[in-house]
Amino acid sequence: MTAISVNNVSKNFGETRALRAASLEANFGEIHAIVGENGSGKSTLAKIISGVVPADGGSVDVLGHSPSSPTEAIAIGVSTIFQEMMLAESLSIWENVFAGSDSFWKRSSSVADKKRRTKEILERLADCPIDPDWPVSSVPLSVKQWIVISRALLQKPKVLVFDESSAALDLEATSRLHHEMLALKADGTAVIIVTHRIAELVKFADQATVLRDGETVGQIGRADMTEENLLRLMSAKTDHSAKSDAKDRVAFGGGTPALRASNIALSTNGQSFNFQLFPGQIVGIAGLDGAGQAEFVRILAGIDKAPQGTVTVWDDKGDEHLVADLASAETNRIAYVSGDRKKEGIFANLSILENFGLALYGRYANKAGFIDRKALSEVFKKEKERLSIKFGRRSDKITTLSGGNQQKVLIARAFALNPRIIILNDPARGVDIGTKQDLYTHLRAFAAEGGAVIYLSTEIEEFFNFADRADVFFEGGLFASFDEDQIGEETILGAMFGQSEPVEMSEVLEQELPSETQLQAAAQ
Amino acid sequence: MNRKILNQFNHLAVPLGLVVILGVLAAMRAPQTFTYVGLAGAVLIAAPLILAAMAITPIAIAGRGGVDLSIGPMIGFVNVTIVVWLGALEITNPFAVFAFAIGLACLWQFLLAMIIIYVRISPIIASLAGYMILQGVNLVILPRPGGFAPDWLGDWGWGTELLGPVLYILIAACAFWFVFQRTPMFQHIRLMGADERTAYTSGVNIVAARIAAHLVAGVFAGLAALCLTGMIGSGDPSQGNTLTLQAITALVLGGTSLSGGKGGVTGSILGAVAMYLVFVVLSSFNFGAISGYMTQLSYGLMLVLSLLISLLTTQSRPRTA
Amino acid sequence: MEWPIPLENPETTMASQASLRKNLLSSDRKSLIIGIVLLAVLIGVASMSVDGFASTNNARSILLLASFLGLAALGQTLVATVGGLDLSIPFVIGASNILLAYLFGTSIPPALGIFIIAVLGAAIGALNGVLSYRLQGQALILTLGIGFSLVGAAQIFTTFGSQYSGTVFSQVPAWFSNISAINGKTLGMPFPPVVLIWAVVSAILIFWIHHNRAGRALYAVGNNRTAASVLSISEFKVWVSTYTVSGLTASITGMLLLGFSGGGFVGVGDPYLFTTVAAVVVGGTSLLGGSGGYGATIVGVLVLQVLTSFLVGLGLNYAAQQTVFGLLILPMVALYARAPHIRYQI
Repeated sequence: MTAISVNNVSKNFGETRALRAASLEANFGEIHAIVGENGSGKSTLAKIISGVVPADGGSVDVLGHSPSSPTEAIAIGVSTIFQEMMLAESLSIWENVFAGSDSFWKRSSSVADKKRRTKEILERLADCPIDPDWPVSSVPLSVKQWIVISRALLQKPKVLVFDESSAALDLEATSRLHHEMLALKADGTAVIIVTHRIAELVKFADQATVLRDGETVGQIGRADMTEENLLRLMSAKTDHSAKSDAKDRVAFGGGTPALRASNIALSTNGQSFNFQLFPGQIVGIAGLDGAGQAEFVRILAGIDKAPQGTVTVWDDKGDEHLVADLASAETNRIAYVSGDRKKEGIFANLSILENFGLALYGRYANKAGFIDRKALSEVFKKEKERLSIKFGRRSDKITTLSGGNQQKVLIARAFALNPRIIILNDPARGVDIGTKQDLYTHLRAFAAEGGAVIYLSTEIEEFFNFADRADVFFEGGLFASFDEDQIGEETILGAMFGQSEPVEMSEVLEQELPSETQLQAAAQ
Repeated sequence: MNRKILNQFNHLAVPLGLVVILGVLAAMRAPQTFTYVGLAGAVLIAAPLILAAMAITPIAIAGRGGVDLSIGPMIGFVNVTIVVWLGALEITNPFAVFAFAIGLACLWQFLLAMIIIYVRISPIIASLAGYMILQGVNLVILPRPGGFAPDWLGDWGWGTELLGPVLYILIAACAFWFVFQRTPMFQHIRLMGADERTAYTSGVNIVAARIAAHLVAGVFAGLAALCLTGMIGSGDPSQGNTLTLQAITALVLGGTSLSGGKGGVTGSILGAVAMYLVFVVLSSFNFGAISGYMTQLSYGLMLVLSLLISLLTTQSRPRTA
Repeated sequence: MEWPIPLENPETTMASQASLRKNLLSSDRKSLIIGIVLLAVLIGVASMSVDGFASTNNARSILLLASFLGLAALGQTLVATVGGLDLSIPFVIGASNILLAYLFGTSIPPALGIFIIAVLGAAIGALNGVLSYRLQGQALILTLGIGFSLVGAAQIFTTFGSQYSGTVFSQVPAWFSNISAINGKTLGMPFPPVVLIWAVVSAILIFWIHHNRAGRALYAVGNNRTAASVLSISEFKVWVSTYTVSGLTASITGMLLLGFSGGGFVGVGDPYLFTTVAAVVVGGTSLLGGSGGYGATIVGVLVLQVLTSFLVGLGLNYAAQQTVFGLLILPMVALYARAPHIRYQI
């Protein structure tokens, strides 16, 4: 029996076409996955089903309704677990679990009962002791995830929409979660799960709707559900291999590295590790949310300070320099591009040109700080052509551009700094396939000229045929390192969950560590 | 359970400490404050501020940085309209006057809520505009202090009986809050203030919740206006204005955060009482011409210090963009 | 906005800006154009309906009063650009006013006195900046508290040994009065020098903000402090600098008002409590930070001042003017500073 029938739905956010023609048919008593790459529109489709955003075109039928708000959706039996954890951090756990359960005038049950049920469900799901009176801000990320899951489960939904594209659960917890999903399925609930964890998906999903660039490109049934089939549909047109097959593999390891992180620890008493990067090399960085990889690349970029350890770079002459802060990162020509454009990338009210220029004013201003607009304009023109950024006028606000073009402006900004090392923190988030493709090509070209690239991604498919090495983080430290020929979904996913052999220190670090005095001398 | 009590204590520790210290000082410097008549006067004088501070509390709890700047002129508005409009219509029936005061205040708050919800401008700007509008309107209605409150209301101003209407109003206001605080509606407002997106996505009717917060504020504001009118026995177009800054000071002293989701009227009441006690203590010194300034200086310092103390106690929260 | 109002997120601003793009106007420019049109209409209507509105005398008085408001709102604009708010401005104005009057009554040379007050104003501003930076989201309350304390302290200081409260009498040097008196002369020309000072300061400030790194840093921080910090723009420095300038311009305004009125009065700053905010908002600088600018505020200041003069001409008193100001703020803000619907913030 059909629970959800979405037909040919489209949705634009300003210039960004999130959905073009998305369709989905889901039945009661099935686990239905929505899969697709970053930016394929799967979260938007989930939000349309749960009544958060209205569709621009097409038809939406959820349990016979077309919900226009979350309130309405919940009332008809649609519960949603959003990609971002919706929590009031300052309130207690039980208040969060039972958020919205009461009507305006009448309680659904007594406070004591709510606390009891909170304790019961959370201790079962999170598998650890819980006091329902604790403020949410005091519990770890995984428990927070369970709180929002509990909230949805307690609503006893007929349709459960679970956007787990960034869920913060480890393997064992994930299997507990899947167990819950199967129980819901047995009760006749339609479970919609938005995910890119394909390996797990094939084990328990009944149907999968595949999105690519805002369009439904296929629906796969239980019988055909294999990783190969899903991946093929998800990325049929995506050719990750910007690298030509003919290109000989460069053996990295000898010679002077471009950058080395020595004895780095991400927390004061965390395990320490080493990392190095050679000119011409592209290193992919992966890990589950909160495994430390994001902190690590920010340390390399000089944004955050390492609680322990040092980051060293080598310049053209082979001299060593320490990277300790943003200033030293800049003088040592390290550029940083964030994929979280909204949070640490763009300046929403400023023009395209200004967004580009803000990073460069330091170079194109005289001693008194006055900006040489002419020179800046030249650079802008050059970089704009190199990355083929499309826009109306450069004085238009950056938000008039699509996500992909916004990202291109930020990458152009990084290239204009003429870096030796470029660090990208999940840059493909929310950008279209064309932009991704361009990005890989440019980074390859950059590496071919001797530049070094650190590329953090939340989608390991991005590393295939692209990265020369992939380093995987687990529980706050560098856990495993894979060479180009070992990079694969299985190996990397396994390492993300801490399931492969820990990396041997000696493999990463072949050269002797420079002594403290050398490092200090280099810093002078 | 211990932990919970401790948390609540933490939240009220600063205002409670202030009230105790200032209370002891006041008892030493001005023992007449704590006589029957003294207390009657104290209740009369402090009531408008206490009620005004209570009024802006639910709005602050409702979040979006909501601090109702218009509260002072709005209380003044009710005051001058009771004297001028009701006076002209010769309406003196207590029920009618109460209904008018509370109804008018609620109407204003409803309007403010509508602007905040549907025009989607920040509450602070909406209430700033409201402040300016009402400040002017009050002067248009009543250009200079004057007129008479209904007799029964004006009689409150004698302030010789502790067990009188002003005290009953305060008790009723507290009782009203006590009940309100236990409704699911209050939970909704609190959740919305703490994280509006969570409230929205978990099915809370955020439009109704915000309107409710404003209407509750309207009830307290109407009562504040009645107490003010009773205290001065006449209409005064600008007396209310000073209440805005004082009420905000009391709110902050009471530990209600302008970032929403936290606090309650207990803190605001303690904050207002602390401010009154400062006034009493300072009046007991013979500062002569500068006593008014000493009060102002003390209010300012108390405000800054209470903010700094809150900084020390909530340092754990990391700064985010 | 400096207090925790949900910040706009670009994904959603996109949606709300879709309509703006159609007429190819950025919201900044749009609000500026609306402001200028409003100003022109006001001047036109007022000239036709009020006798003597279009006279040199009236123009002079409008410009003189606009200079005071303009200087007071300068700091407010900068602070608003980075997403803060400074409510200590009226108190700094009042305190500077009576303290300078007090200093003029002592043996301290007038020029030194002016310098001392200016430094004091800047120091209060810096204190506001440092404390409000630490107390994220509480700038409104904090600046209010500092303002209260300052005015209280200044009055206590000036009242000792005097029987007048709130008012300080002393001889204001003639050259100083000339700067801001209505009959003041600028190099022989018939308008007070403060108008010229305001014009020059405005020109320099606007040029500097547009062409200097530090000026652009204000917008970077106001828009996205995390992104700015990644570009090594120090939020702390920017934040404290804007508050320092705000304290400085407020104290200068307070001193100039002494020259204007001739006697020190602490309440002289009171009308500036919300009018500076109104001028900023009517001009088109969003209190959320990162947009608008001083050019917009100048338009806002002129609109308010022309409107005041018009309303006075119509026989409306101060009270009615306030109401009209309040009524003006709402539609102006609704035009350009609406938050996106919550559904687009998820």
